[in-house]
Order: sequence, then C-alpha cells, then structure tokens
Amino acid sequence: MIAQIPMLIVVIPLIFAFLCPLIGLWRKGPCYYWTILALSLCALASIDTLFAVIHGGAIHYRLGGWPPPFGIEYVVDHLNAMMLVIVSVISLTVAIYSKRSVEQELPDKVVYFYTVFLLQVTGFLGIVITGDLFNLYVFLEVASLAGYALVAVGEDGAPLACFRYIVMGTIGACFYLLGIGYIYISTGSLNMADVYQILPQMYHSKVVLTAVAFLLAGLAVKMALFPVHVWLPDAYTKAPSAASALIAPLMTKISLYVMIRVLFSVFKPVLSIDLLPVTDIMVWAGVIAILGGAIMALAQTDLKRMLCYIVVAEVGYIVGGVGLANATAMKGAILHILNDAVMTVGLFTVAGIVVYKTGRHDLSDCRDLFKKMPFTMAAFVVVALAIIGVPPTCGFFSKWYLIHGAVIAQHWVFLGALLFSSLVSVILFFRVIEIGYAFRPSHGGHSGGGHAAAIDEAPLSMLIPTIAIAIAIILIGLYNQTIISNIIAFAVPKL
Amino acid sequence: MKILSLIAGVLVGAALIYGSLDMPKWGDPHSPASTHVSPYYLRHSIEDTATPNVVTSVLADYRGYDTLGETTVVFTAGMACILLLRKGRKR
Amino acid sequence: MFEFIVSYYNYWIYIGLMMIGFYAMMAKRNLIKKIIGMNIFQSAIIFFYISTSVKKGATVPILEHGGHGHEHVAHAVDVMQYANPLPHVLMLTAIVVMVATLGVALAVAIMIYRRYNTLEEDEIIMLLKRG
Repeated sequence: MIAQIPMLIVVIPLIFAFLCPLIGLWRKGPCYYWTILALSLCALASIDTLFAVIHGGAIHYRLGGWPPPFGIEYVVDHLNAMMLVIVSVISLTVAIYSKRSVEQELPDKVVYFYTVFLLQVTGFLGIVITGDLFNLYVFLEVASLAGYALVAVGEDGAPLACFRYIVMGTIGACFYLLGIGYIYISTGSLNMADVYQILPQMYHSKVVLTAVAFLLAGLAVKMALFPVHVWLPDAYTKAPSAASALIAPLMTKISLYVMIRVLFSVFKPVLSIDLLPVTDIMVWAGVIAILGGAIMALAQTDLKRMLCYIVVAEVGYIVGGVGLANATAMKGAILHILNDAVMTVGLFTVAGIVVYKTGRHDLSDCRDLFKKMPFTMAAFVVVALAIIGVPPTCGFFSKWYLIHGAVIAQHWVFLGALLFSSLVSVILFFRVIEIGYAFRPSHGGHSGGGHAAAIDEAPLSMLIPTIAIAIAIILIGLYNQTIISNIIAFAVPKL
Repeated sequence: MKILSLIAGVLVGAALIYGSLDMPKWGDPHSPASTHVSPYYLRHSIEDTATPNVVTSVLADYRGYDTLGETTVVFTAGMACILLLRKGRKR
Repeated sequence: MFEFIVSYYNYWIYIGLMMIGFYAMMAKRNLIKKIIGMNIFQSAIIFFYISTSVKKGATVPILEHGGHGHEHVAHAVDVMQYANPLPHVLMLTAIVVMVATLGVALAVAIMIYRRYNTLEEDEIIMLLKRG
C-alpha cells in the first residue's frame, strides 16, 4: 500500500469526486465534509511523499508495470514533491474556508460545486506528478474544464468572462499539443526522460525550435503572461469567492512549474540558455509583466481586480527569475512559487470574506473593516507585508534571492522592475488600509463620528483558514533556510 | 481586430510550416516516430496482451492511464454541464 | 520541386486548416462561430497527428496472425507492414477532450443566451456596461 502512495495522491480526489454526486442525492450537507476528508487524505499522502523524496531521492512509479518509454511513468523529484504539497495543502485550506461562502453564493449548486472542486484538484495533482508529456495534456484539460465550470457560476457577467477564458485556454492547450506533436515527430517518444536523452543530437533542427516555441507559447497563455493575460482579470474577479481562492493561486503556478519542467527536464538547459535566446526573452517578458501588472493594478477601483493584476505581476517575477539562468535566481524563482501561492490564497480568502460580509468587492466597500473585522484585517496586513517584501515574512526572502540573482547576472532593468513593483505594492496596500481605517479629515470635534462599528467578525470556518495562512507566511519566512537547503537546493536544475 | 487576427494567423501558420521543413517525409517507414517506440507495441502486443488489434492494446493496456484520464475528462464535462445549466428550484 | 511538395503537403494542408480555425476563434464576433472555429482548430490538429502515422504500403495496425490466445506466434511481425498505432491512440483521447470542451463551451453559450437573449459579443458587452 505504501509503495502505491504516488498513485493514491491522484486517485483519492478522483474516487471521492465520483462518489460525491451519489452522496448529494442522499443529502446536501455531507458533501462539504466528504470534500474535506478527501483533501486531508490527499494532503497526508503528499506530505509523506515529500519526506520519502527528501530521504530517499526521486521516486519512479510505473503505471501498469510497463517500463518507460512504452508505458506511462510518474517521476517525483524534489520540485514535484514540493508542488504536490503546495497544491494539496492549499486546496484543503480553501475547502475548509469555502463552506459559508458557497452556501451564500450558490445555495442550490453545493453538491456539484464540490464535485467539480475535487475534479479540479485531481487535474492539478495529475499535471504536477506525471512524467509523460501526453498524460500532462490530458490532466491539463481536466483541470481547465473544471476551472471553466467553477468560474462560470459566478456573479453577473461571469459566463462571458468564462467564454473568453475558454477560447484563450483552448488556444493555449492546443499550442501545447502541437508542441508535443513536433517533439513526437522528431523523436518518436512521449516520455520526458526519454526525450531528454534522444533530443540533443537534433537541437539544430527546425522542428525542435518550433516545438520549444509552441510549448512555451501555449504555457504562456495558461500562466497569464502579459500580454496574453487578458482572460485573467475578468475571470477571477467574477468567479465565486471559493473558486477564485482555489484557482488563482494554483493554475498559474502549475503552468510555471510545467514551463520549468519543459525547459530543464525535457530539453537540456544548454538549449534555452546558449543555443536559443529563450532565457533572454524570458527576462524581458518578466520585466514587461511586472511593470504591466503593477501599473494596471494602480488603476483599479475594484478590490478583486487589483488582486488579479498583482497575480499577473507575480508571474512576471518568476518568469524573469527563471530567465536569469543562474542558480541564485532559480532558487528565488522556485521559492517564489511557494511563497506566491500562499500569499495569493491569503489575498483571495480575505477578498472572499469581504464579499461574504458586504456582497460586493469594490475598494470603497472596505470602509471601517479594520474596526469590524480586526482579525481578518490583521491577516490581510501580514499578507500585504509579504507581497511588499518585508522581513520576516516569506516574500522578503524570495525577493532577496531574485535581487541577488539579478545583480549576479548584471541585469539592471530586471532589478529596477523588482524594486518598482515593491513600491507600487506599498501604494496599493496602503490605499486599502487607509480606506479600511476610514481615515477622514476631522470636522471640528471628533473625527469619524460617534458610531462605534460593532465587531462583526467573519464566521470561524472562514476566519481560521485565513489566520492559518497568515501564520504560515511568517513560518515559511522564518524557516526559509531549512526549506531551501532540504528541498529547493535539489530542485534547482544543474545549469 | 480582424486584421490583427489575420496577421497573427499568418505568422503562426508560417512558424508551423517553417518547423515542418525538417520533418520526415510523408509515409516514410524509417521516420523516428515509426522506429522508436511503436515497433515494440507491434511486435509484443500478442504475447503481452493477447490482442491482435494493436490500437486497443496500447489504449487499454500500455497507456491505459491516459484512458482513465480521458474518462475523467468526460465525467468532468458532464458535471460541469450540470453545474452550469441546472436551474435551481424556485423557492 | 514536385518531390518536395509531395513529401510535405500533408503537413501544410492541415496547418492551413488550423489557421482557418484559429482566425475564426479570434476574429469572429458571434459566440457560436468562435466555438465552430475552436472545433476546426482542434480537428485539424488531430488530422495532423494521424497523418504522421502513415507508412508507404502499410495496412491498418491489426495483426493478422493473432487471436489465438497465448499461442506462441511463430511468425515474426514485420513492422514495416503495419501503420504506426501510437498517434491513433493519442488522438482517440484528443477527440474525446475536444468533444468535452465543445460541450462545456456550448453550455456556457446557453447560459449567456438565457441571460442576455443574444449571442453577439459586442451586444453583450454593451448590455453588460449598461448594467
């Protein structure tokens, strides 16, 4: 049984998702607890796998017993194992958080919401764990279809936002499929490790060049790299709170993980760094994404849209970090995948609490929130400090590694973009905090009037995950050296 | 928008055609795709899986996990359609 | 020159078909036309893959001497005689994925139609802006 744990990580949410509608036929209430049970088992299995990989090295699991490249193979190395833990723990947190929010926003669709939620998590885990290119496409489509459904049941205007998401997401997935097709035509194999062995003698051929271009173009659409990010703000703003809290941190980070896999485990690093100017283009793409995301975020008056543009800027950090192509920047980029997932889920859970309390997510709806919801806003301040990059939160350490990597590579434009976006984050979050404390110019006597806003804190099932995320941000920051030396140092590809 | 899409389409098509110039010729029996992994399936399909139809044996046995993924895709699409289209009961 | 075209024309035809679908997805204003473009694009990719499984003079990949259970097959299988089965397998899965995406896209189009009573993108955006 223990040897089958890599398989169980994907199969547990799948089986529980198959059974969820049957439970829903009986009663609606248990679906929430069924989802939490599934994701808890899954999280335990992935933490166990992480420790197994730390102690024993990479795990190779052959599906059906067939040796690769004739069968499909799961390869769990340090990067994978870390991503598995990120996906399962964040999904569990959002599932615990989602109870009140789903009951308020989608009262008659609870059963199928949780079914599609579990299928979405299955898709994410399947993408992260596999070592076969076509299998990755299949699970990418599972995750995408579930994502389309979760986004489309949001507020007014969500179906149209979802339609644009469908069109752009399908273009991305089809470009990825074309890239796999070109690799298959030139090598005959679909297994990542096998292609890594066979392809180097063909690095000068046009087929491989086109394959790299289309794989990266497809993944760029999926990870919302500026300027093909246009599906993201509408889709994540109008989605239900629980859905945006699940998809926003994970979908883009998983596409970034696939990009790192393709660049360093399918093609040799020498192809992207020396033979083709891929990494140079990536740094400039990162710079444009950071600047574009930061400037667009400044222009927003809606809280959730502002957070969506912050996500776009964060993708730019990681793409630029990978593009700098030295070990320090890669450590920063991989650490930033972890940090950004946790920070984004923190941001969107707080936004979801605002929506639960006030029904809207405009910036002006944040008035007086610091008085009414002190704990939620304290968590928000911690997340804001992490995004700005203040020690000891985790955001400081990944930014520090990225800045250090930019200095080593002498890429001053990227360094400038990093510092610029930190300044912009300060402005963005101070604006929210200012509205939250309702600073008003005093009219003669006491400011703010005499109405003491009663403490109307968020319900416990939503509050506890939010505070847990804030505590996790500080803990990851304090223990970042342990994480780097045990996991990330082995996950960085040999450049 | 239409002109932009036309230019984008022509550029993407040109990139794909450029990539196809180094490909093996159509129908070439010695192409890498025909000589690397698939001869194993053709030679060993009967002794491993007792199925003369090689497409079935690859689909259901060697790469059976992809078929499970495909079934999951169909299930996800079904659940997505129920989630999207089912009208709630009027209270 | 003629040799050159004959050996590559299968790829080029399907790339042309892909670009027709791609243009339709991006440029058309009607939602159903976008969905049809998506279908054309994905179908063309499927044809592209399958065209790589052809071998000159080969037949379908169903072995002739089989079907007798675990009897040891005395004749060696001549690989050159049978078409490559792997792209067919991959494309069976891709066809199913295409149909599933088509289904979800049409469901979203139904949702949009129920709400706005039109399927033209510009009209919907105008209705949205008016609130």
